[in-house]
Amino acid sequence: MIFDSYEAYRAANFTPKVCILGSGPAGMTIARKLGAAGIPVVVMEAGPREFSDDSQDFYRGSTVGDFYFDLDITRLRFMGGSSNHWAGWCRVLDKQDFEPKAWVPDTGWPIARTDIEPYLPEVRDILDLPALRPDMPISDDIRWVQLIKSPAVRFAEKFGDELDKATNIAVVLNTCATELAGDGRRVTGARLWSHGQDAGSFSADYFIVCTGGLENSRLLLWSNQRSNGGVVPNATALGRYWMEHPTFEGGNAILADYNAFEVDAVNEAFFSPTLAAMERLQIMNFGIRLIETPYPGVKSLIADLACTAPSMAEWMSYQLSQRLRCAAQLYVAWEQAPLASNQIELSKTDVDHAGVPRIELHWKKSELEHRTLLEGLRLFGATLIEKNLGRVRIADWISNGQDYPTNDETAGHHHMGGTRMGTDISKSVVDANCKVHGMDNLYVGGSSVFCTSGQCNPTTTITALACRLGDHLSKVVTA
Amino acid sequence: MSFIIKKMSRRALVQALIALPALSLFRKLPDADAAGPKPDPNEIVEVGGWILKRSDLA
Repeated sequence: MIFDSYEAYRAANFTPKVCILGSGPAGMTIARKLGAAGIPVVVMEAGPREFSDDSQDFYRGSTVGDFYFDLDITRLRFMGGSSNHWAGWCRVLDKQDFEPKAWVPDTGWPIARTDIEPYLPEVRDILDLPALRPDMPISDDIRWVQLIKSPAVRFAEKFGDELDKATNIAVVLNTCATELAGDGRRVTGARLWSHGQDAGSFSADYFIVCTGGLENSRLLLWSNQRSNGGVVPNATALGRYWMEHPTFEGGNAILADYNAFEVDAVNEAFFSPTLAAMERLQIMNFGIRLIETPYPGVKSLIADLACTAPSMAEWMSYQLSQRLRCAAQLYVAWEQAPLASNQIELSKTDVDHAGVPRIELHWKKSELEHRTLLEGLRLFGATLIEKNLGRVRIADWISNGQDYPTNDETAGHHHMGGTRMGTDISKSVVDANCKVHGMDNLYVGGSSVFCTSGQCNPTTTITALACRLGDHLSKVVTA
Repeated sequence: MSFIIKKMSRRALVQALIALPALSLFRKLPDADAAGPKPDPNEIVEVGGWILKRSDLA
């Protein structure tokens, strides 16, 4: 059942056991799991069926620190959430991403990759993925990794009909929780906002916050402030350890053989470091995206020339009426060290239409990350030499330790952390089952529970964690 | 000179042009100590951002 307003939903007299806030990949996956288990569930979606400027305006905010995207651009507030602009890149976090790195504080998850692996067949069905393939070592330091370009499932399009026909799942559009109320043990209710006005309070046995990697922290920070700590009793880490995947063009590579690596349909191949290399160099995980430009004949020679003599190559390209770039491009995305100082705060001056403080995001890249970028490119270059596969040129701004350019990709629009998973209540918000520490009926879904980010795009891991949480809750609710 | 260029194939001409900028790399070679051991040709060096094998510079 899909309702366009809370008023219409209320008229249907549906009585849910579980309330999910948000209909993105995490919220919709958990709802489908609970629905399949016969549990009545309501999904409150803040936005409408399609994009709307009015809805999107709730996401405006500000950033302090490094350059970052406008907060109302980097995510979407309508049915299906940010899956509506998802590029479709898929890969599960590496085994070592879940394990603590002795050289980086506050790393390691309370679960292992094996805890989500049983859900990967389901994830493949949900995200329309081909078979997942193991990494292939290229050298002792570098491995070829599979990053799948999936059809980029739009969750509302793919599952809209199924949800509309479901009798034990209600999706309520244009309706959000402006705050949760709690007594330090349980969430006792939610204050709703629907179609531009207060819609009263709402209660359910269980609440799952799946509003996104920025908004989960915002809702819980505001709710906790309003309930004097009654929603997140152990809130030291709430909003903190926020992470992205910084992404920049790192240089070029001349390849001896353009068939040496397996590339995808758009001539791209991906490489990451081995655990031994990360440990030896004391760096984070990273992913190098090699974009081949396999020009034929003379064009190939001019493209190689563009690496060493760009002016001359530009003149020759002009003579050929072609724009030929230097050999292969190397883009690098990397894992950020989890830092408590990278955090989501509530604005003290700016509120949205419902009166909820907007986000003030504090985000800064660390010295360790610049070293990861530089050493990562060096490792890749050394591997190409060792295997006689080609040569790498590192971009000048990286070699010279200059500032990050502001006209590059910047980051992946991947919002992780803020309600991270853990056992130490001073450094985490939820436990290994995504339940908020100290609360009996409050759970969190989505990438805000990530303890570390790894180097790969998060949607596959988000969906796997959502399947796991759905299974767990099905047992809890029916016990 | 123009006669030579006319006789060269297009490919050979481009290959010659590619080789030209590499000459500048020699200027940045570390001074070799004639009395010391010969540098390892497989040693990795960074020149102008390029990650190279020392033998690439020979």
